[in-house]
Amino acid sequence: MLTSKISTASNNQPTDNRVAILNSSEKRSDQWSQLLISVGENRDRKAFAQLFKHFGPLLKGFAHASRNEGWFPGLGDDLVQEVMIKVWNKAAGYNAEKASATTWIYTVARNCRIDMLRRKSNTQHLPLENEDFWHEPDEVTPISLLQQKRSEDKIQASLAQLPKEQNQILRKVYLEGKSHAEASAELNLPLGTVKSRVRLALQKMQIIVSKEAQE
Amino acid sequence: MSNFTNHHPDESMLLEFSAGTLETAISICVSAHLHYCSHCRAQLLRLDQVGSQIMTQSDPMTLADDSFERVMEKIDSADEPAVDNNTNGSDLPFSVNKLINTSLVSKNWKRLSSSVDIARFSTGQDNFEVALHKIRAGGKTPKHDHEGLEYTVVLKGSFSDENAVYREGDFLLRQPGDVHQPMGAQNGECICLSALSAPIKPTSPLGFLIKPWLRINPM
Ligand SMILES: [Zn+2]
Repeated sequence: MLTSKISTASNNQPTDNRVAILNSSEKRSDQWSQLLISVGENRDRKAFAQLFKHFGPLLKGFAHASRNEGWFPGLGDDLVQEVMIKVWNKAAGYNAEKASATTWIYTVARNCRIDMLRRKSNTQHLPLENEDFWHEPDEVTPISLLQQKRSEDKIQASLAQLPKEQNQILRKVYLEGKSHAEASAELNLPLGTVKSRVRLALQKMQIIVSKEAQE
Repeated sequence: MSNFTNHHPDESMLLEFSAGTLETAISICVSAHLHYCSHCRAQLLRLDQVGSQIMTQSDPMTLADDSFERVMEKIDSADEPAVDNNTNGSDLPFSVNKLINTSLVSKNWKRLSSSVDIARFSTGQDNFEVALHKIRAGGKTPKHDHEGLEYTVVLKGSFSDENAVYREGDFLLRQPGDVHQPMGAQNGECICLSALSAPIKPTSPLGFLIKPWLRINPM
């Protein structure tokens, strides 16, 4: 098994299911995902321009929020370029049943940001890029865009209602790119407190169900 | 793909994975587990949704006027990309498969004891030793304690210890003070991915058998 080869065959042909979802009334449920599908299927430049206009400034903000080693002033513009080129190149493989465009672009941006910062701060050869960790198989049960949109709206609403100290830690981890240990050092809190605040936040947002929330 | 996975990374590990702040070696193990576990994939999607909402609520920053044109120029001057292929045609996790193809320290298994072989990876970090372990069918490993953390994901087959049977996809974390004696299943060899943060210390008189485990040489 040590010699297993990476196959180059494509498994990302649109399925009947996907077509059904596209043709259903859910079409208007998430405009960004529809635009991204159009970029993938039709190389639609107008759709791409709309995505760029919406996500470009957010990506630049996301780059500037990073407090990681390797940060440099030009990271914002570089990240916008690299992520949007990836969005164009990978759009054909985008699967709306796995994630909405917003979530998908977030994962591309997160991977890019980590890999760009690592390249700046690390001289060692790294055989894996962060992107390599994100190749999960397709799910048997697809999640419709409408379901995803609902769950994202719920998360957005519940984020706004989190107690300040829980919100602060989530932003430290996701936006600034700090580990729990780094957050604990910076906020001068025991690691256990950081973890329990995170857990409380996730429970409150119903990201984790109580059964799994136990130690 | 089995969905019988019973042992999962905890939610703070998944959250750090989602935010991209988890150590490389642990990320390799989590990504391997995700290959087998639809439960954790669903959980991860929700965590990614949290990340995406936090990103879209952050302060947007104005782009240079020509930023869109510059991106389009780059796109137009490059070749049309090949369709991105998300699967790897192997039943192993993508990251593990890539490591096997690019980053084995030696192409052959090395014998650790009469029942355990090891194949180490060089992963560009030195906090953990990342390796594959192969336990022979019915093979007993010496009882050992841990000085550091040991993350294990079962890739093929199964093994057991005093507490449970661990099957394909199961994710285990051993902490200092956990003493255990893994044993390969009778019906076939077991292959595990592991990330080890510090030497394992033997506790049985036969402990000398696992001497090679004491030599941690991440590269
Ligand atoms: Zn799991």
